[in-house]
Amino acid sequence: MKNQANPWLTSNLFLLGLGLLPAAILIGALLYFTAWAFAFSFTDLALVGRKSVEWNWVGLQNFERLFTRRGFLESLWTTVIFVFFSAIVGQSVLGFLLAAVLRGSQSTIRSVVEVCIMLGWLLPDIVAAFLWSATTSQTGLINQLIVVPLGFPPINFINEYALPIVTIANIWKGTAWSYLLFSAALDSVSREVVEAAKVDGATPFQRIWLVQLPIIRPHIATNMLFITIWTFTYFPLIFAMTGGGPGRQTEVLAVFLYNQSFSRGNLGFGSAISVAMLVIVGLLSLVYLRMLREPK
Amino acid sequence: MSDVSLRGVRKSYGSLEVVHGVDLDIKSGEFVVFVGPSGCGKSTLLRMIAGLEPITGGDISIGGKVVNDVPSPQRGIAMVFQSYALYPHMSVYENMAFGLKLAKTPKTEVDQRVREAARILQIEDYLERMPKALSGGQRQRVAIGRAIVRNPKVFLFDEPLSNLDASLRAQTRVEIAKLHDTLDATMIYVTHDQVEAMTLADRIVVLNAGRIEQVGSPLELYRNPVNTFVAGFIASQRMNFLPVSPSSDGLLLPGNRLLTLSHAKRENVRTLGVRPEHLHLADPEAAHFSGSLSVIEQFGEYALAYVELPSGDLVTIKLDGAPDLQLHQTIHIGLPAEGVHLFDEAGRALR
Repeated sequence: MKNQANPWLTSNLFLLGLGLLPAAILIGALLYFTAWAFAFSFTDLALVGRKSVEWNWVGLQNFERLFTRRGFLESLWTTVIFVFFSAIVGQSVLGFLLAAVLRGSQSTIRSVVEVCIMLGWLLPDIVAAFLWSATTSQTGLINQLIVVPLGFPPINFINEYALPIVTIANIWKGTAWSYLLFSAALDSVSREVVEAAKVDGATPFQRIWLVQLPIIRPHIATNMLFITIWTFTYFPLIFAMTGGGPGRQTEVLAVFLYNQSFSRGNLGFGSAISVAMLVIVGLLSLVYLRMLREPK
Repeated sequence: MSDVSLRGVRKSYGSLEVVHGVDLDIKSGEFVVFVGPSGCGKSTLLRMIAGLEPITGGDISIGGKVVNDVPSPQRGIAMVFQSYALYPHMSVYENMAFGLKLAKTPKTEVDQRVREAARILQIEDYLERMPKALSGGQRQRVAIGRAIVRNPKVFLFDEPLSNLDASLRAQTRVEIAKLHDTLDATMIYVTHDQVEAMTLADRIVVLNAGRIEQVGSPLELYRNPVNTFVAGFIASQRMNFLPVSPSSDGLLLPGNRLLTLSHAKRENVRTLGVRPEHLHLADPEAAHFSGSLSVIEQFGEYALAYVELPSGDLVTIKLDGAPDLQLHQTIHIGLPAEGVHLFDEAGRALR
C-alpha cells in the first residue's frame, strides 16, 4: 500500500530503513538483555574464576536445580507472602480505605494525611531502609520510647520479626500510589450516582461496597497488576534493611537472585532464576488482564 | 397526605447565605415547578427537600411531619437526577430494584413492582440491558422508573430533560405530564427552561437570588407578573422594557410620542413592559414609535423583528406568518391599550 500523502517516502526503501533505525536499535537493546539472560540460563557461567571464560552449555540443569536444591522454592514462598501482605492486603486495601474515607473529610485533614503518605513514597529506598532499621533495632526509637519505659527488656524487632517489619515498611512506602490511583478513580464516580444510592436507602458502607467499588473495578485490577509486578521484583528496600536475613527469612526472589549471581557468582543459575521470575510475573499479568475485561 | 410545606427555609455555606428564608405550601397531588436563572437556589431548595443537603434554618414538612433531621430514604421521596445517575454496573432491572432490595422487600413484590413500573414507562423490552446500551431518552425512563418503584409520596425532578435533544425533550415533557395524571402524586420539578415551567406546572415558583419572586399558575404569571424579573423571565419571547416618563395625560414614550393612559399611580411609572406578541405594525401617523429593522428571524409560522429606535432602545415584535420586510427599513409600531405592563422605579408592577 502506497502512502498517498508522501509517495516519495514509500518508494525510497533506503530512507524507510533509516527511519526505522532508532526504533530497531531500541527494541534490539531491550531484547538483547532478555535474550542474554535466557541464553545464559542454559550455561554454567560464573562471575569470577575459570568458568567466567570457559563456560559450558549445561542444558536444563539450572532449571532442575531451582526445584531440587533448597533456596528457590523457599524464596518463592517468602515472595508470595511478602507480595500478598504488603501489596495486595496492605497497600491496596489501605490505599482504598484511605481514599474512600478522606474523600468525605475536611480538606485540611486530607492534605495532612496526603503529605504524610506521599513522604514515604518520595523518600529514596536507601534512606527509608536506614530509617526503618534505626527505628526497629535493639537500640532503636520504638525500644527507647515505648518498650523500655514500660519496663520490658528491649526487643530487636528487625531481627526477630524480620518479614513482618519489611512488609510494614513496604506498606508505608507504597500506599501513596494506591491511594492516589483509587482517589482519582473514586473522583470519576459521578456524585449524582452516589446520591441516588443515598436516596435509595444505601448506608455509607453499602454505597462503597455495592456502588462505588463495582464501578471502579477496572481501576482496581489495573492497580493490582502494577503493584503485584513491582512488589514481586522489588529489591532495594529489603536488601538494604536485612540483606535477606536473618538466615533466609526475608530472602525474596530478587534478593535470592542477587545473592546467587553476585555473592556466589553463579551467573548461569542466576539467569535461570530471572527467567523463572519472568514466567511467574507473566502468568500473574494474564490473570489480572482477564479481570480487566468487561463482564458479560 | 403528601403535601409539602417550607417555613422560613434557609441555606448558608459558611457566611454566604444562598437561600434567604423560603415559605411555600405545596398541596397533595400538585405539580410545582421551581424556575429561575442558574445560581438562584432552585436546585439547592430541591436537594434540601430531598435530604441531600442539610438546611441551615426553618422547617421542611412532608405529609404534615417535620423532616428536617429525617434521612432521605425515610422521607417518602424519590428523585430523578439531571444526569439520570443510573448505576452503570447494574442492568435496568437491577437499577430499578436496588432500593427495594436494600429495604429487604420480598422478591415477588420487587419483581411485581419493577414490572409494573416498566409497563407504565414502556421499557419492558430492555429490563435486562445495561444502562450504557440505552439511548438518553431510554435512560431517562429508567431513572423515572427507579423513582416510581419506590412508590413515593413526592417526586423530585432536578432538570431531568436538560441532557436530551430538543425533539426528545418535547416528547418526554408530554410523558411526564401524563405520568403526573396517572400517578396522582405530588411532583416538584426544577428547571431553568421557562417552556417546561409553563407547560408542566399547576403552579410555578419563580426564584431569583435565593428568594421567591412570585408563585402562581402559569397564566397568572404571564398576565400579571409582579415585577420586571418575573415579567422578563416568563414566556418564550422576552418582554420589551422601555423607559418612559409620566406626563399630564399619559406616558411619554421614547421618541417623545404620547401614550394616553389614565392610571391612578401614573406618576410612579418609570418602565413600560410589553410582550412582543402584543405589539402590532401601525400606520406612520398612528404609531407609538418607529425605528429601523436591525434583524429579522423568520420561523415560518411567525417572525421576530428586532427594531432599533432612534433612542437606542431595541424592541422585539412578533409578527404572524412570514412578513415581507427589508433590513433597515423603517418600522412603525403600535401599542395596544391592554397588554401593557407598568413598573415603578424599583421594578414593581403597578396595577
